[in-house]
Parts: sequence; C-alpha cells; structure tokens
Amino acid sequence: MNRMIRHYLAAVLAAIVLTSAGIAAGATTSVSECMDCHGDKTIEKTLPNGRTLSLHVDLQAYRGSVHGSSGCVTCHVDAKAPHEKLAKVDCGRCHGDAAKSYAMSSHGKARAKGVTDVPGCYDCHGRHGIRKPKDPAARTFRLNIVETCLRCHKDQALEQKYNLPGQQVMIAYQQSVHGMASSKGGLTGSAVCPDCHGNHTILPGDDPKSATFRQNIPTLCGKCHSGILEKYEKSVHGKGMRAGIAESPVCTDCHGEHTISKVSDLKSPVSARNIPKTCSGCHDKEGISSRYALPKKRFSSYMDSFHGIALEYGMTKAANCASCHGVHEILPASDPASSVNKANLPKTCGKCHPNAGPNFAKGDVHVEVSPKKAMGVFAVRLFYTLFIGTLVSLFALHVGLELYGRWNRRKEKATDGKEGKS
Amino acid sequence: MSHADLAAGKVIRMSLLFRVQHLLLTVLLTVLAITGFALMYHENSLAQWIIRLEGGVYNRGIVHRIAAVLLMANLVYHVFYMLLSREGRPELRQFFIGRQDIDDFFQSLRYNLGTAKEYPRFGKYGYKEKFQYWGASVGIVLISVTGIMLWAEGFSMRFFPKFILDLALIIHGYQGLLAFAVLFLWHLYNVHLHPSVFPMNPSWITGKVSAEWLRREHPLEYEKLKEEGLL
Repeated sequence: MNRMIRHYLAAVLAAIVLTSAGIAAGATTSVSECMDCHGDKTIEKTLPNGRTLSLHVDLQAYRGSVHGSSGCVTCHVDAKAPHEKLAKVDCGRCHGDAAKSYAMSSHGKARAKGVTDVPGCYDCHGRHGIRKPKDPAARTFRLNIVETCLRCHKDQALEQKYNLPGQQVMIAYQQSVHGMASSKGGLTGSAVCPDCHGNHTILPGDDPKSATFRQNIPTLCGKCHSGILEKYEKSVHGKGMRAGIAESPVCTDCHGEHTISKVSDLKSPVSARNIPKTCSGCHDKEGISSRYALPKKRFSSYMDSFHGIALEYGMTKAANCASCHGVHEILPASDPASSVNKANLPKTCGKCHPNAGPNFAKGDVHVEVSPKKAMGVFAVRLFYTLFIGTLVSLFALHVGLELYGRWNRRKEKATDGKEGKS
Repeated sequence: MSHADLAAGKVIRMSLLFRVQHLLLTVLLTVLAITGFALMYHENSLAQWIIRLEGGVYNRGIVHRIAAVLLMANLVYHVFYMLLSREGRPELRQFFIGRQDIDDFFQSLRYNLGTAKEYPRFGKYGYKEKFQYWGASVGIVLISVTGIMLWAEGFSMRFFPKFILDLALIIHGYQGLLAFAVLFLWHLYNVHLHPSVFPMNPSWITGKVSAEWLRREHPLEYEKLKEEGLL
C-alpha cells in the first residue's frame, strides 16, 4: 500500500516538474528567440501597396497583456525562427464562443464575404497588448470603448461606402446623457456602445435577433434602468408592447436613441416644453386614436388650455401631459389605478392645486368643444357668436340706414331747391 | 357754465369727473383688450408677437390684472357716484330706459326710411347712448365676475366644478369680444364718424359741445337748458 502511494506521488511529482519545466523551457526560449528579431524597433516589411509595416513587437506591452505569460506560438502556431509570412492568428482556437457569436454579427458576416474593412478581433482588442476589458488601459475598457468603435464609425469614407449610420449619430451619442456621463463624468456605469449593440454579436436594429430591435428595446434599457422597466411593464404602453402591438411606444420612441438627454435638458423630447409634442406624435394621429379607441383632440384641447398656453410661453411649471398622466406608469383613465381615473383626479390635480377637491373634478379636463363633449361651453360660444354677429349686422344696418336717410333727404332738398328755382 | 362758453355757443356735456372716469375706461379697456385677446387668440402669430411684447404670458397676466383692478375700482366709484352724488343722481335718472326710447328707436328707423317726417326728439341721452351705457355696464360686471373667478382659481376650485370655470373662461373671453365690438364699431362710429360729429365729438376732452349740435341732436335737453336759463 505504502509503496503504491509512494510510486504514485513520485509519478505525479515527476509529471508536474517535467511539464512545468517543459512549458517554461519552451515558452521562454520561444519569446526571447522571437524578440531577437522582433525586438528591433526598425524591423519592417514593405507591403504590396508600397507602405511599410513595422514588425516590431513591444515586449513590455506584451508582457503586460492578458496573454503576457503564454508564448508567441500560442497564437502564432506556425512560428519558428526564422520564418516567412505566418498563417493568420485564429483567436477562436481558444475563444470559441466569442468567435461563434462574432461570426453571426454584421461584422462577422461581412468579413466572411471577404470585406476587409470590417473589424476583426484585434481591431477592437489590440494585438500584442490585449488587456482585459476591466483594465483601464484596455481598448475595450468601458471608458475607452466608444473611442474604439468610433475609429471606424466616425470615418466618413466608410460611412458612405457601407451606408452606415451618419456621423451625426455618433456625435449625438457623445453629447447625450450617456456619452457625457462616461466621457465627462468618468462614470463606468453609463451606457457605452456595446451595452446596447452587443460586443461580438452586433446586429443592425431591424434584425429581430438584434438587442436594439424595437421589441427588445425595453428589456435592453431595463438592464440598467430596471426600476423604470418594472413600471413600464405595468403601463398601458408596456402591456401593449409585450402583447405584440408594434405601435405601442418603447423607451426610444419618447427618449430618443443616441440623442438621449436629461429631462432637464431643453432639447430633450421629454423635457417639460417638448412633452406635448412628443406624446402627440402618436396621440394626435387619426389612425392610432381610431385603432385603439382613444379619445381625440388631446393635443389641441391641451394647447388651448391655461396649462398649454403657459407651457408654450415657457412656464415649465405648468402641467404637461406627464404631470397628470404619469410617465412610465401611464394607465388608461378607465383603470382604477390610473392617476387620471375620475376617483384619483382630486389627488392628481391636488399636486398643484390643493383646493381642487372631488367637486372640482366634475366635467372633462380636456375640453373638446362639441355638443356631445361640452354642451355648456359649446352653447355659450354659439350664443355669443350669434349674438355678436347679429349685433354687428344690426350696427351696420343702422349705420347704413342713417346714411341712406341722410342721402335721401339731401337729394330731396336738392330737387326741392331746383323745383323752387324753376 | 362760463359766460365765455355761452358766448361761443358751447354747452358742458361731461363734467371733469366724468371725463376722468371715461378716460380711465378708455385706457384700461384698451390695455385689457390687447392683453386679453392676445391670450384668447394665442395661436395667431400677431397675438404671439403681442404676448412676447408684453413679456410672456406671466407678465401679460400681471398687466391684465392690474388694469382689471383699476377698471373695477373705476366701476365701483362710478356706481357710488351715480347713486349718491348730487351730480350723479340726476344723470342716472336720465339714463333710465322707458317706453319712449323704444318709440324713438322705431321713429328714427322710419325717419331714415322716409316714412316719418320728424326725427325723434332726444333728451340728454337718446337710445344710442342708453344702449351703450347699459350694455357696457352689464358687460363690465359680467366680465369682472368671471375674471375674478378665474383669477382666484384656488378659491374657485374649492366651490365650483371644472366645467363652471370652463364656462367662466368662455364667457369672459366672448364678453370681451362683445364689448370690443360694441365699443369699437358702435361707439367709435357714433362719436367719430357720424356725420353730425365728424371727425370727433370733442366733449370727452373738453367736456363741451356746441349748443347748435345739442339743439339738433338732443332738442329736449337743449330746451330744458334754455328753460333753466342756462343757455
């Protein structure tokens, strides 16, 4: 028994010593061997297009990289000293999952078709100096990744050649609340390109598998804004969206995409000034109000109210759509939980008007002047219109009659005078 | 009435106090109309220009309410003056509407149509003036009440349902339009463009009219003054 254990231990020990010695001997010799040539800063080759490519490898950068402790041959499998042109490095040998998802992405598909302008692994990750995304020095670090994507996506030539989203999209992102939070605020929690678009699996937004496909947007934004997503899911918009109604708004319909800015930003489509225009983008559409049996003329009746006029002239404390209907948790008035349900109106109005009790809440809030909706207002308006119209006509008649009488009498006088003379 | 006036054939028609009330009314109603209609027709570009000129909706409201307070003060003063003062009481009596006014109205129509020989003989105030006076008075009261309801919105919300305030708003606006139509079309025609006064009846500034004008347009008043030896 003892002998068996001793043999076994010896064998294990020998195996460990031999393997580690082997790795150490093989690797170190290999790297230093490679560096004999590639450590030379002036080593370069001339490309067919006449340009020169430096063949220098920065050993220090390599050693600091995530692969720094493995050897050159781990990636350059066919390398020996000296060598001719080596085979392409295949990252997928180790990073199989990444390679698989990359192959399904827009970048990967284009590359498979032979397009050389699309990024491969090293365009984003680097070559010898690859670092983990968590490393602030990595190109894929959250605060550096935007710059990395923009290396291609700000190139106008590429943009035109492949019909990519315009530069203004990228600039808009950089000026957005997300862009500013990471570039200016240094916040690593703010959304950067891959948070929405994915990293290896980037797909265009019209692909149902894309994270940025319309139906996937709420879940996508909810990755960070989970509290908001929870409210949204319970709202009429969220329920509609989940039920497959494509017209039901998702986050980006109100907030914008790359342009997303703070509510306090005057340019934001959800700022107090712009909210009515944003909501009426759908709610003022004839098709939408008839398809979903929504009340009509919400925008014009609001803009004609005190609230609407005040807001139009910049009094942002005046109630806008969201002040009464809520924001992410919007529910139809028929829902007892809705802030604009009849029973809840006193409370909702009371946020600004403490005296507005249940008595005040009688009658429509959006006054649509028609016999069916607001008979009183309609009748009074009709009465005044007729009354003023009649009165003005009578004035005109009276004035006309006076002038007619005068003119008649003058004529008579003139003829009388003539007759008298003759 | 001074001897100089008499010599020049002038008769006092509006005392200084009435002229001051009238001038206040003119200025305040103009301010109220400009600020009010700008809001009522806020979707019109001219209205929007006026609102910007007035310093936005908030400042517009302040200007409107200052003018409104002064107008209501003017109205209250006028009511007390007409009811209690020695000058006001007989004036008020002359403003009462009677059977005569209706007859006068139809007679003037017939006269102008050529079916009556005589133009009606008016006292100090004929049916035109009386219609103007009572119309403006009722209008200002109605517009003041609805205006106060809308101004004191916290108070109103406690007692009135929203649709009452909607009605108040619509009455306030259209009553303003009505007042504007009466004053701008009817009153300004009668005191500026009417052939008997063109280009202007000067009494709102000087307080005086010519005795000759009074004899033609208000013969009963003319004869009364003559009888009293004031002419």
